[in-house]
Amino acid sequence: MAGEKKGLVLLDYWVSPFGQRCRIGLAEKGLEYEYSEQELLGDRSELLLRSNPVHKAVPVLLHDGRPVCESLLILHYLDEAFPNSPPLLPADPYARAQARFWAAYSDKVYEVGTRLWKLRGEEQARARDDMVEVLGNLDGELGDKAFFAGEAFGFVDLAVAPFTPWLPSYGRYGGFSVEREWPRLAAWARRCAGRESVAKSLQPPEKVDEYINVLKKHCGIND
Amino acid sequence: MEGKEENASAEAAPLKLLGSWASSYTHRVQLALRLKGLEFEYAEEDLANKSDELLRLNPVYKKVPVLVHGGRALPESVIILQYLDDAWPERRPLLPADAFDRALARFWCHFADDKLGPAVGAVFTSTGEEQEAAVRQVHENLALVEAELREGAFKGRRFFGGDEVGLLDVVLGCGSYWLAVFEEVTGVRLVDADAFPLFHAWLRDFEALDEVRETIPAVDRLLEYARGVRHMLLGLAGAGGAGGAGADAPSSTAADAPTASPPPAAATATAADIAVDI
Repeated sequence: MAGEKKGLVLLDYWVSPFGQRCRIGLAEKGLEYEYSEQELLGDRSELLLRSNPVHKAVPVLLHDGRPVCESLLILHYLDEAFPNSPPLLPADPYARAQARFWAAYSDKVYEVGTRLWKLRGEEQARARDDMVEVLGNLDGELGDKAFFAGEAFGFVDLAVAPFTPWLPSYGRYGGFSVEREWPRLAAWARRCAGRESVAKSLQPPEKVDEYINVLKKHCGIND
Repeated sequence: MEGKEENASAEAAPLKLLGSWASSYTHRVQLALRLKGLEFEYAEEDLANKSDELLRLNPVYKKVPVLVHGGRALPESVIILQYLDDAWPERRPLLPADAFDRALARFWCHFADDKLGPAVGAVFTSTGEEQEAAVRQVHENLALVEAELREGAFKGRRFFGGDEVGLLDVVLGCGSYWLAVFEEVTGVRLVDADAFPLFHAWLRDFEALDEVRETIPAVDRLLEYARGVRHMLLGLAGAGGAGGAGADAPSSTAADAPTASPPPAAATATAADIAVDI
């Protein structure tokens, strides 16, 4: 087909934590790819609309022109299509199930976080309660381990790490301190930030907070 | 050698499924176990009065289904199905072999649970204009699936998995039987054979399979259950008390979602248990 590139292209957005999951995964696997920044607040590109017609969302991984959508599915695809590179998922079936469970669960950090900065009054209070539950569950799963996967950085760590720069903002909107409430989670976040693949992919919290303000304006929220 | 022996004994460990008879998420796991020829013990959960065992095994969601294998708990139907493939790779794989096809199967499973299911649930829990909007949403979603069958990822296939049923058939199929039930109970047309001929044909072929007939409850029971829930919902709506039973249910692959205000007299599971359950 005309215009179809060979190799890997990642349709992404600079501050998207879902896109960042893919960037970290590609880096961990040592895979070369072309990064393609997409317009999300304005008109979406033809390429994005063609590649993800159902959701019109990033990230999308194009492999020799064929699209794979959704961050966690992209990570699975990378493991399966590139079996000679370091695996992102564990080998043991039960460990894989647990990794899938917690990686999918961590999507709630962003869903609930969005409600936290968008809503006010009772709805915001409910979002705050939900966030406390989500972070509490993640903290409980982490426990006293260095990483969710144990002694080494693994799939769940990769899935959750991109939400860490959003936590200071969520904490402000929700009136909680991650450092104070869940010190183990805070320490884990710092541990991940030191990892090269993560450090290269994440935005600093200040930029994330600025972006939330942009989104608020975009939604017509003026406080 | 040692790994193989460990695997064999792990595989041989007993399987127990905690589920609910009207939960399509539970049916997915029952069907998958039957397709793979795996023996299992089944424990029916009363969703209005959950067992300590369930709460202990699934503390995060407190939902069915939960599969217990060798004492270890696996919640979330789509995760359980993939676990079955990972743990018994030699027995009738549910996922295709090719990496891209696997990504597609998983993508459409998510679509079934995040988009189509909630839309169908919304039809069931609403009336009037709100219901009309929900019906439009269902039709839009079905049109996307129909397009994939007609000219997209699943073109020319009898089942989404190919000649045999696979992961997406199990996920979409166990739940699609609610479409006919909801049509009957609400009087709304959801799956027109003329508008969605391929989806209609696929569903008919799926429901004719022996393992599926063994798994899906008799339509009379489903109708009675759905009528009861709908009646209760409309009764509550009349009294001004229902509050979006299906509306703010979190998207998840498990069966029941918390409702705004379940009536105290409800002996059976509330609307959201089946409202988000396709």
